[in-house]
Amino acid sequence: MKSFQLRPVVILVAGILAGITAVAQTTVSSATFGTMEARWLGPGTMSGRITSIEGVNADGKTLYVGTAGGGIWKSTNAGASFKPIFDKFCQSIGAIAIDQQNPRTVFAGTGESNMRNSVSIGNGLYRSTDAGDNWTRVGLDSTEHIAKIVIDPKNSKNIYVAAPGPLWGESKHRGLYKSVDGGKTWDKILFISEKAGCADVSVDPNNPDIVYATTWEFRRLPYLFNSGGPGSGIFKSLDGGKTWKELTNGLPSKPFGRTALALAPSAPNNLIAIVEAAETKLYISADGGENWKQQSATMNVVSRPFYFSTLVVDPKEAKRVYRPAYSFSYSDDGGYSFADASNEGGWVHSDHHALWINPANTNQMYLGTDGGMYVSLDRGATFIFLSNLPVGQFYHVAVDNQQPYRIYGGLQDNGSWVAPSAKPGGVGNGDWQAIYGGDGFWTVPDPADPNIAYAEAQGGTMGRVNLKTFKSVNIKPQAGANEAKLRWNWNTPIHVGAANPGNLYTGAQYLFRSTDKGTNWTRISPDLTTNDKKKQEQENSGGLSADNTSAENHTTIFTIAESPLDEKLIWVGTDDGNLQYTTDGGETWTNVAAYIALSGVPPQTWVSSVEPSRFDRNTVYASFDNHMYGDHKTYVAKSTDMGKTWTMFNSSEFTGFAHKVKEDLVNRELLFLGTEMGLFASVNGGREWFRMKNNIPDYSLVRDIVIHPETHDLVIGTHGRGVIVVDDISPMRALTPDILNKEVHIFDSKPIAINTGKYGSGGFPATGGWVTNNAAGIPPIQYYLKDRVMSGDVKLEIYDAAGTLVQSIPGTKRKGINKVAWNLRMTPNKAVAGGVKMDYGAYTAPLVLPGTYTMKLKVGNKEYTDRLVLVHDSSNHSFTMADREAQHKAAMELYGMQQELNGLISAVNDEQKLLRDNEPRLKSGKVKKQLKAYESELEKLRAGLLATKQKSIFADEEQLRERLGEIYMAICTQEAGPSNLQLERIGVVKQQVRDAQATHAAIGKQYADKVRAAMVKEGVKVEAKKGKE
Amino acid sequence: MKSVKLAILGAALLGGISSYAQTADEVVDKHIEAIGGKENWRKVKSVVSEGLISFQGIDINVVVTAVHNTGSRQDLTIMGQSNYVIMTPTEGWMYMPVQGKTTVEPMTEEQVKKGADELDTQGALVDYKAKGHAVEYLGKEDVEGTECHKVKMVLKGGKETTYFIDPASYLLLKSTSKQSINGQEFEMTTSYSNYQKLPEGISIPMTVNIPLGGPGMNADMVLSKVEINKTVSPEVFKPAK
Repeated sequence: MKSFQLRPVVILVAGILAGITAVAQTTVSSATFGTMEARWLGPGTMSGRITSIEGVNADGKTLYVGTAGGGIWKSTNAGASFKPIFDKFCQSIGAIAIDQQNPRTVFAGTGESNMRNSVSIGNGLYRSTDAGDNWTRVGLDSTEHIAKIVIDPKNSKNIYVAAPGPLWGESKHRGLYKSVDGGKTWDKILFISEKAGCADVSVDPNNPDIVYATTWEFRRLPYLFNSGGPGSGIFKSLDGGKTWKELTNGLPSKPFGRTALALAPSAPNNLIAIVEAAETKLYISADGGENWKQQSATMNVVSRPFYFSTLVVDPKEAKRVYRPAYSFSYSDDGGYSFADASNEGGWVHSDHHALWINPANTNQMYLGTDGGMYVSLDRGATFIFLSNLPVGQFYHVAVDNQQPYRIYGGLQDNGSWVAPSAKPGGVGNGDWQAIYGGDGFWTVPDPADPNIAYAEAQGGTMGRVNLKTFKSVNIKPQAGANEAKLRWNWNTPIHVGAANPGNLYTGAQYLFRSTDKGTNWTRISPDLTTNDKKKQEQENSGGLSADNTSAENHTTIFTIAESPLDEKLIWVGTDDGNLQYTTDGGETWTNVAAYIALSGVPPQTWVSSVEPSRFDRNTVYASFDNHMYGDHKTYVAKSTDMGKTWTMFNSSEFTGFAHKVKEDLVNRELLFLGTEMGLFASVNGGREWFRMKNNIPDYSLVRDIVIHPETHDLVIGTHGRGVIVVDDISPMRALTPDILNKEVHIFDSKPIAINTGKYGSGGFPATGGWVTNNAAGIPPIQYYLKDRVMSGDVKLEIYDAAGTLVQSIPGTKRKGINKVAWNLRMTPNKAVAGGVKMDYGAYTAPLVLPGTYTMKLKVGNKEYTDRLVLVHDSSNHSFTMADREAQHKAAMELYGMQQELNGLISAVNDEQKLLRDNEPRLKSGKVKKQLKAYESELEKLRAGLLATKQKSIFADEEQLRERLGEIYMAICTQEAGPSNLQLERIGVVKQQVRDAQATHAAIGKQYADKVRAAMVKEGVKVEAKKGKE
Repeated sequence: MKSVKLAILGAALLGGISSYAQTADEVVDKHIEAIGGKENWRKVKSVVSEGLISFQGIDINVVVTAVHNTGSRQDLTIMGQSNYVIMTPTEGWMYMPVQGKTTVEPMTEEQVKKGADELDTQGALVDYKAKGHAVEYLGKEDVEGTECHKVKMVLKGGKETTYFIDPASYLLLKSTSKQSINGQEFEMTTSYSNYQKLPEGISIPMTVNIPLGGPGMNADMVLSKVEINKTVSPEVFKPAK
């Protein structure tokens, strides 16, 4: 929260930029910044909701994993590693199916069907015919949610897709679809009503004309959920879906809610169904659904049918039934009794949605939960967590001012966490610390106290967490004597003041402020919502099964922002369409909802974020989300007159309802927008936008965006791909239209402190889990190319003040921003051939000294020059400038010594080659003998210069080159002055080089001229002696 | 610029609807034409190229020797140490002391089998049908700001390579390949630039870029010399005793 201190500079820079960008051009696109590749911090610690798992039956190790908001991940090694394979498409996955007859054909239905309040939406069905490398959308674009895909096991051209359809409105696009041509065309073969879709489908593997389907009537409103209605039922077809009859015999009386149905593949007349009804129960049928019998059922088997819809019968044993639900249950008697999985292999996260059993080895199964994926090798009794899927669903992220800064965030069903943004060896799962339970949302550091964070669970439960002890104090405000019951959003805002970081805010229907870290609160507003009573009947939520978990709480405050320019100017947005501000710290409030409606945002639309400008107090940005009324438009707007008039931002690039608009901290023209389907940026104040695809999935669910004031990193909280960081967005700020039109531009770099990189290595590579590399440890040099370089090369040459070339580095050639890493060292001496060991000393070179260097960027045959200032790293107090100078002096001495030794080895090599090449041509036995003696002396010398005999890496041979290399590497790679013994050692090695040179000279004196003369006499052409000693 | 952008957008939209205006053969033919034409490539019996991989001032010398359908050998000199990889239609060897492997190690049968497709010095795309390979046009995809033609080739031996071809010059900008060997899947991305025409009439990229997995971390292999149809001794494709 240092940003306010930067204000004068910011305003100056912004003013200049504003003048320039007024004539912005259209050449900026995602590709312009493509080199600024985002890093995926994950983590895999708690992972995220897994919605579908399918494996290739033939190999039992190729897995496709669908996630709630992180696309599809594929493993070809039974889960040892995964790769995302759906990053150009909608990230919410409802169902996956593999054509087991030709497993390169895979279908993916987008739009998860676990119909919780935060569920995302899909945009159709996709097919790959090359095992997931390429995908084509093949229809069902408007179904929004797909629950299951079944491919006829005997005829892969017949495909069934169960589409519950839209959650937030009525739709004719729901129902059961069938293709008879492998997915080219689709017919809706079971349609109940615009209210009821198809939730499940099964095909009899022995007689694929027999098809079972369940239908489901359901609906969400922002303030209510209903599961159940006359449209729900269980249906059977005997003719591949042409005609249907409803199954009722032995089933409870209607209405039903959601029914999970499974058949036993080994005895397909055996069916099992969990029917949500007035009393939700488990039913079995042994005659293909004609008659049903109620079973006893445990709490887990019948819990939350709308959310737990998975039911699987073992591929081989008809009596073995699996019910992944709140927890994992299995039955050995066809569903009569159930046992629960053990936590012996580690806690299995609750809330299960997917299960795949390897039919060739039914002990092996994969389970998908709200907290990632597990594998069992003992038929579900115990599970091992696969911690390598970074698909966490963050609602919000925040950063602090530690070095490296820490990242805070809360996730769907996974609480609140903190992790450092960088760590030696990279940030791994173990670096993430859980700090608060429940579902996690806003997790905010206290700017004044690095040991305090504020975190919350659903429905406004919130705590002040001590980050050393992880004890927390409940700080949820309570209703006063004359106040109505407090209404807390599922995702209640907690906000630290941007102008006065001593202010802590939260909101129910009222806004509360605390100036003592949440210990005491003052209500500073009246009810800021519409207080519409009919939207406050959450106790009736759920439908057939009561479900009132605060997910439907409504008419609440959803977003709060104190202006960075004035602590008395506070903006508050509600989930029912109000946007209100105060200019007097809460004394009086103005509602601008009516003005927003005039700009085209429908009334009642959620205000998903509000962003008061840090450059102008009258300017404010806001995003709006109306998807809960079935409207997926991207609403984002700006007002420059305190909300009286609004300008909508529009772009053909936009997809998804808007969650977050963010103004840059330095360049007021630079804006970011996060939606349910992508991250977008504008470099001209919102006139034009482009989708950011720089290693960010195209349709990422972007819930939150923050910019770090010191590192300039863009930190993104995604609802399905964890935390994503774009390091240092300075080039986005600096790319003015002037620069855009230049052929080549080298960006100014701040003086770079010379060190070996920001982080050490830690010594061992990370193993297992999810590990993210750090940002570059030494800031890269950045340049812009107007066009891709098609002929010639790009090279960056660094020269010192004396004009000597220090290092030449190949550069990238892409259109837009390019980055080149210089390690701040000289060019290593080239290793000389002939040893059996690598010359490790040739890996490094001395660090250069502070000073002004010249960069020559050579692009084809053109050259562009700029300067680069390097400074001593004063942050390292144990490495003074005097130490640096002493280190440099020692390193340079060894650098020179290494050149001398290389020269000597080269000379010996050349001599030996000359002798060996010409030996066969000699006739005189005497000369031959002389030559052999000479060669043998040289070899004796050579064998002392470098390792020549080592046969194995475990038999370390050490000769002069290795001895020199060791001391040279030690001095070059340390951030310390040389020690007394290091200095002494330099003298020792130096003497050994001198001795070797003397030996060579002596051998030469004894043999060289004599042998050469004899060879010439025999008619052998001998070149003059070469090689430097 | 705007019109170009719109044209690209239009093309992409059309491409997404159903059939592609371009066929794989059209793109492949234009690409082969751009790099010197079928006739010239069919004459390539051997290629010997020398180059350097540079990274932070460290150089790795690379010599690649390939004789059409007979053998290929890569010699890498790393920090003064020699390493090589040899592949023939029936055998293959690796000598990689850089990896601590100080003796010559034979390739597995599967590596040799899959490697046989790589011994084609005339380029897999030239006469691909006769060679038993298959290609498929996959529309267009952005490669660092250029909407490239995307053509997937499946070699006879199963290796899949996707080529990204610049629609203006029809030169190859990038390829990604995927292959399953010994039960493991390997993926590689390579970028190509600085095409130069050789006296034999063919054009080849003199710079090949290999990403090293980090911002600004790249290794370029820059070729300094390419010799076509030079006589190569069969001994080259045998490991040292």
